Amino acid sequence: MEEEIRQNYSEEEKLKVFHDEFMPHINSMYNFAYRLTFDEDDANDLVQDTYLKAFRFIESFEKGTNAKAWLFRILKNSFINDYRKKSKEPAKIDYQEVETYYNSDEVDRQITPDLRVETLQDMIGDEISNALNALDVDFRTVIILSDLEGFKYEEMAKILDIPIGTVRSRLHRARNLLKEKLSEYAKQMGYKNS
Amino acid sequence: MPDSTNPSNPGKKVSCMEMLQHILDGDATAEQQQHFKDHLDECMPCFKTYNLEVALKTLIKTKCNGNGAPQELIERIKSQISQNMPR
Ligand SMILES: [Zn+2]
Repeated sequence: MEEEIRQNYSEEEKLKVFHDEFMPHINSMYNFAYRLTFDEDDANDLVQDTYLKAFRFIESFEKGTNAKAWLFRILKNSFINDYRKKSKEPAKIDYQEVETYYNSDEVDRQITPDLRVETLQDMIGDEISNALNALDVDFRTVIILSDLEGFKYEEMAKILDIPIGTVRSRLHRARNLLKEKLSEYAKQMGYKNS
Repeated sequence: MPDSTNPSNPGKKVSCMEMLQHILDGDATAEQQQHFKDHLDECMPCFKTYNLEVALKTLIKTKCNGNGAPQELIERIKSQISQNMPR
């Protein structure tokens, strides 16, 4: 990803890389696209564009390296360039992404979230998914990349083009927002918390 | 890793939370993991938060995976790729 080293693939090898290394991620890619756009047609287009783009630039992909991170990066960039502009989602605000985040007062509050494991485990419907979807797109994205897809901070930094410190503080904040959402749901559902 | 065995000292809580996140995201070394495991026996806030975070992470994994890509999409991509190949 960092350097433009072009691989010399035969046509046959290109197909093999495509099928063996790119296609296995299609379900994750589609889920990501859908959770970015909330529209099946847009998600289809976004995934298709991503795969065609990946194939077009396959010579800059080094066999055996992290295909998934590469694909996620292409998809995320396509989303920003082609979809985010026209979507009704307003440009987002203040992320409080100060690197000194852990020194802030908020840390204390987060140590005792008013949400319990038992309460979470009673949420057997769409609550978790809905709470995730309710987050702003940047927060939603880091949760998807980390918790759902298992990317490491360093990979996320490359996918999102942001420093690792920002990945961590954004993720931290995203998880707290998610927990806030879930405790709202819990209250609506009539659970007694803490 | 800073000593984080004293949760009553507010200055130490910072490293608790930071450590917890590293552990949670698989970004900690084996040594840090062991340190954290020991720490959980001594720090109730970490213990509670850790269990909650793990539960949440597990739930996200099981509840937010979607239903997979539509078969038509998979077929369409495959056929477009093979059409692009010189025969
Ligand atoms: Zn602690």
